[in-house]
Amino acid sequence: MFRRILIANRGEIALRIIRTCREMGVEPVAIFSDVDRRSLHVRMAHSAVALGGSTPSESYLDAKKVIAAAKASGAEAIHPGYGFLSERSHFARAVVEAGLVWIGPPADAIDAMGDKITSRRNMKQAGVPVVPGLVDPVDDIERALAEAAPIGYPIALKAAAGGGGKGIRIVRSPAEMPAAFRNASAEALNAFGDGRLYMERYLDQPRHIEVQLLFDKHGNGVHFGERECSIQRRHQKLIEEAPSVVVDDALRAKMGEIAVRAGAAVGYQNAGTVEFLYSKGEFYFLEMNTRLQVEHPVTEMVYGVDLVREQLRVAAGEKLGYTQSDVLARKNGWSIEVRINAEDPFNGFVPSTGTIGNLRAPGGPWVRLDAALYRGMEVSLNYDPMLAKLIVWGPDRKAAIERMKRALAELNVGGVRTSAPAALSVLEEAAFVKGDFDTHFLATLDLAAPRGGEDELVAAASAIHRHLLAQRRALATSSSTRAAWLERSRAQRSVYPPHIAGVAPASATSSAQTGASR
Amino acid sequence: MKYFVTVNGRAREVELVERLGKLEIAVDGRPMDLSYEEVDSLGQVALIEGGRSWGMSIEGDEHSVTCSIAGRLYAVEIEDERERAAHAAERESTKGGGVVKSNMPGVVVKLLVKEGESVEKGQPLLVLEAMKMQNEIGAPGAGVVKALHVREKEAVSSGAKLVTLVAP
Repeated sequence: MFRRILIANRGEIALRIIRTCREMGVEPVAIFSDVDRRSLHVRMAHSAVALGGSTPSESYLDAKKVIAAAKASGAEAIHPGYGFLSERSHFARAVVEAGLVWIGPPADAIDAMGDKITSRRNMKQAGVPVVPGLVDPVDDIERALAEAAPIGYPIALKAAAGGGGKGIRIVRSPAEMPAAFRNASAEALNAFGDGRLYMERYLDQPRHIEVQLLFDKHGNGVHFGERECSIQRRHQKLIEEAPSVVVDDALRAKMGEIAVRAGAAVGYQNAGTVEFLYSKGEFYFLEMNTRLQVEHPVTEMVYGVDLVREQLRVAAGEKLGYTQSDVLARKNGWSIEVRINAEDPFNGFVPSTGTIGNLRAPGGPWVRLDAALYRGMEVSLNYDPMLAKLIVWGPDRKAAIERMKRALAELNVGGVRTSAPAALSVLEEAAFVKGDFDTHFLATLDLAAPRGGEDELVAAASAIHRHLLAQRRALATSSSTRAAWLERSRAQRSVYPPHIAGVAPASATSSAQTGASR
Repeated sequence: MKYFVTVNGRAREVELVERLGKLEIAVDGRPMDLSYEEVDSLGQVALIEGGRSWGMSIEGDEHSVTCSIAGRLYAVEIEDERERAAHAAERESTKGGGVVKSNMPGVVVKLLVKEGESVEKGQPLLVLEAMKMQNEIGAPGAGVVKALHVREKEAVSSGAKLVTLVAP
């Protein structure tokens, strides 16, 4: 086993990997950008290397800096987490060339699966069912319109080199094609440097079901059953669960066998996920994520496995040491995960930014919070809006739903708005409880409509809150009042350029007046 | 003191009277026996009312507050009588005005219209990128572009003015 590994990531996944390292006696090395210097993953690591820079491309996406940090820190291997460099084959190659172990699939397997077009071609050859659509990407609107007819509407446009829901558009008629194509292509070009789009039939009542795979370096591979991720919005997952209500033992065996075949076809190693679209009893290969998934904890809860530990073990050359039937015999109960994003559910889920204040974490039996949140954390637009993952386990689906509702009621993240209330609303929907939903389900719900019947209590508490604020302001000869007074007197004596004069002294004056009027 | 409180879009009137150091509260004329204990300076509050107990979190300023109880979010606006009158007058004076504002922080990727150009309802005015998603911002109604308040590649905050439209 490794003595020390570098984690080429940040946030909750870096912390997730650090935790397993600690339990295994492996020393975790963190890396961080300037804006992350106070982050929890930095504080929890054995050592941490500053990369400098504030944007991802100056830090976590800079392969040279990351590899140099690994060499300098004496790490023997690199775990990429998800996102950032995790699915960049050039990085995987560079890591190995630098004499380090890559905790992930071989670069060639990333190449074979990374590009959706290549992966579909490979999967068709391996006898894995794929969605009707084009094998080759399209780069102009005229061709897109011509190719759309034989596939049949509705059609999904997807970035050829994409992921994470970026550069995806659904086109319901030829009239919608030009605008959708333009936007998706621009988005793809901007996010991935490749504006080519891939077209496929959009299936009716599709459910997103994915299979967790694990391969060692000795040709052994198993699946850890399925996860269902149909509760998504704009192709971003909100709620995930394992197992799926539509998958019975026979279907699990069939999907699992095909997923393992898909992985084996590209010489896969380490952990990976094969995503399927399930529609009316049929399932089609969608793509393979050649990394650990955000939602991996639900599988861990149901199969009693630490997938990060397994990743480290197989990367270090150990054999799996168990068979497919050993894995399936461990399957127990139900697990649900809710992603807590910094988004305003009352305002079309637009990103919400701020400083985390007021934080109350849920706990108790079978509740797991994977987060890197702390009081004083700045939530900016620099990074992904996901703040935390709340995961619960229950003996059956109903118990898991009730437990998640209980945990969400305990959770409170202040300073930004989060998607948590929307998740709670979904869990209360009769159709969700029955398991009767598809990937469009979330869009049919009015999540902006606030729920909760404590209006009078809230009205009274808000008035008291204001009353106490005013009282405090009147009583305190606060430093802010003094500062405002000084600022104002300086403003009167000084000549500022117009853009400064318009901002600083004006706000100082207004707070000085507030202080004086009470 | 009388407050006009809007909770998730529903209007309430709260009467708050401080008598002998104790707060007397009535919501919509109904007296409420409420115990409000601040837990910390960050917004955790212990509430007891009518035999029930809640762990509430509350944050915001005098005018706009966000409350959370048992996983539910409540967006609250508070006005006193003077502010209510002032806001009503302000709304009256800007009626029919066509300032398109950003509802999210982001970066202006592309401007699709020029000053003086006539636009149809729903016509894309500009492309705004937030969280790496590109969003076309459409005209709320037909009109003429009077002013563009942003340039391409400019970062805008939530609520920033983007475009002013006037009736055609």
